[in-house]
Amino acid sequence: MKRTSSPSLRRVARAVVTAAICSAFLALPLFMLVGSLRLPGLPPPNGWEWLPDPLHWGNFELVGQVLPEWSTAVRNSVLIVAVAVPVTVLVASGAGFVIATARGTKLRFLIAVSVVALLIPASALWVPRFSVFRWLGLTDTLAAVMAPALYGTSPFYVLLFALTYWRIPTTLFDAARVEGASPLRTWWQVAVPMGRPAAFAVAMLAFTFHWSNLVDPILYLSSPDRITLPLALSRLQAFEPTNFPVLLAGAVIVTVPATVVFLLAQRAFLTRTISGGTRT
Amino acid sequence: MKKQSIASVVLAVMLAGSMTIGTDRATATTRAGGGTTVLRFQFAGEPEDAAVYDLLIEAFEKGRPKIDVEPTVYGSKGDLIQSLITSFAGGAPPDVFLLNYREYSQFVTRGAIAPIGPRLDEQGVDLDEYFRQPLRAFTFDGKLQCLPQNVSSLVVYWNRVLFERAGLEPPAPGWTWEEFRQTAIALTGGGLHGLGVEASLPRLAPFVWGAGGEVVDDTERPTRFTLDTPEAREALEFLVGLVRDDGVVPSEVDLAAQDLETRFTAGKLGMFLSSRKDVPAFREVTGLDWDVAPLPVGSEHATLLHSDGFCLARDGDHPDAAAKFAAFAAGRAGQGILSLGGRTVPSLRSVANSPSFLDPTSPPDGDQVFLDGIKIMRRTPVIPTWPEIEERVDEILTRAFYEPGYTIDDAIAAIAAETRELFEEAAAER
Repeated sequence: MKRTSSPSLRRVARAVVTAAICSAFLALPLFMLVGSLRLPGLPPPNGWEWLPDPLHWGNFELVGQVLPEWSTAVRNSVLIVAVAVPVTVLVASGAGFVIATARGTKLRFLIAVSVVALLIPASALWVPRFSVFRWLGLTDTLAAVMAPALYGTSPFYVLLFALTYWRIPTTLFDAARVEGASPLRTWWQVAVPMGRPAAFAVAMLAFTFHWSNLVDPILYLSSPDRITLPLALSRLQAFEPTNFPVLLAGAVIVTVPATVVFLLAQRAFLTRTISGGTRT
Repeated sequence: MKKQSIASVVLAVMLAGSMTIGTDRATATTRAGGGTTVLRFQFAGEPEDAAVYDLLIEAFEKGRPKIDVEPTVYGSKGDLIQSLITSFAGGAPPDVFLLNYREYSQFVTRGAIAPIGPRLDEQGVDLDEYFRQPLRAFTFDGKLQCLPQNVSSLVVYWNRVLFERAGLEPPAPGWTWEEFRQTAIALTGGGLHGLGVEASLPRLAPFVWGAGGEVVDDTERPTRFTLDTPEAREALEFLVGLVRDDGVVPSEVDLAAQDLETRFTAGKLGMFLSSRKDVPAFREVTGLDWDVAPLPVGSEHATLLHSDGFCLARDGDHPDAAAKFAAFAAGRAGQGILSLGGRTVPSLRSVANSPSFLDPTSPPDGDQVFLDGIKIMRRTPVIPTWPEIEERVDEILTRAFYEPGYTIDDAIAAIAAETRELFEEAAAER
């Protein structure tokens, strides 16, 4: 009796714990969604409101009216991720491959450089970067915000790829070399196809980073044509409490693409890992 | 073949990216090349503020086809200051920016601000037309650094419905601390609080002056806080007593759930201490019936100056156009437009006494309270380390308000100890 009940009991317990953890995380998006359907101008609710009365869908349109730059912000943010995410994945993948195939001092040096780069606080680079961008004539251009993609956005992504490529048997790379493939070709034809889960993970992380990047646009962009979605949201945030429904509607609009990207990438990299696991 | 194609894809993407981004920029420079000056103006504010500034800029550009003002609006003051510090350090600051008098001096000592005073004659600005208090606050190193746009004071916002429900008379001018306290007590109960007051130096200071005390030893060249005098102590005890003994102020837990401004708009606060800045917000709330009253009077009448000024960057590319814009924005036409937005108390006497400010059709009815406040207005010192000093003091005051066992003596001692170095640092920079 005990033997048969304990696994199902454990399953129920696990489901309960999972649900509890999920609901803690779901509370905020739910609050955002419910709040975005409230009529602006009303005094804020006292405590939690399950369904606003009246239900008001107009806030999603209102966002574009109170902030005329909203459509510009959408265009700029889409442009930024469209360029920065693929470049990040390519550069981080390439750099990760170099680390994964390096040996001895070279390997230690590359790892040390990555870790040190990871440890430098971002704020220490604000002013130097500003000077560099100014020298290059890139201040107040979207290129200044995309630029981190040229080094893979974060050393962490590079190391993630390196870790993935390490797990590929070296004999595969050696075989490719014996057949006369250049390192670049080995990377593209052997490493990249096998590291696809990592690529999806990095693409997802890079998307989230560039999509929600607020500090760089604050520092390097100034003209109204250069506004990005996080900047637009922070402007809505200055609204007084009675207009919070408009801010929350803006937040919903910004969150939806990130959620979709996460769901797509998550499915892609989870299934790949499983199929990779069964093959070996 | 393969590697070339990959490399060319990467390059093409980057180039395409930078080219589409570059085109707008290129047109901007050709515009400038065609004799148009692009003037960059940065400030922090709400979307409604931004709309008012758009009107102002439009009015300015109308008569000046060769100047194109490009505003950058930040959602918070912190974002604005972070951006200013970086762009100054990087050598490409905006031409004009709006700062509070409590914050601008750190930019003066860093050599970032070009004093506006010497440029005002050529712009036809007569400083005698401005209220003196904000002009003095924006004077540093003997020069007028920025041109004040407004002259707000600390007032009591009060909810008419809650007053009537509690059977209370509207606050009368010259009301005493004790009357204020009794009113707050009468308004408290049933989930409502009588008074909203932040644990901060700008809220404490007018009470210290009202008790006949001083906040610092010398407003011009401060070396230390003087909160240990009997008068200053009395003010601290009064405020802390309202929180701890009378329980008329929302607790820290209450505040974490809903801040003071939100509570006032939701009709859960009888009175709320703030400057003019909340007027546009409260005007928009449907069903909120409110007005403003002067601060209660201790042994003296006093309130605190709140003022923002237009500052010019020292290394700006277009000093003349920048001065012209600042003079227009803080001039009669500019202040007229800004005061319609409701947020500012005009620093120009003529605009302050005009219908565009004293508009009888929109609340508060007590606009005159803000003008009466000017006569009894005082200010905190203008020194570069002041923002940091305020930050430390606010933390300590929060503990004095809410932390069990943290006494007023603890607070006074901590304020003295934690700010000593910051005063010394400021003195050394002079």
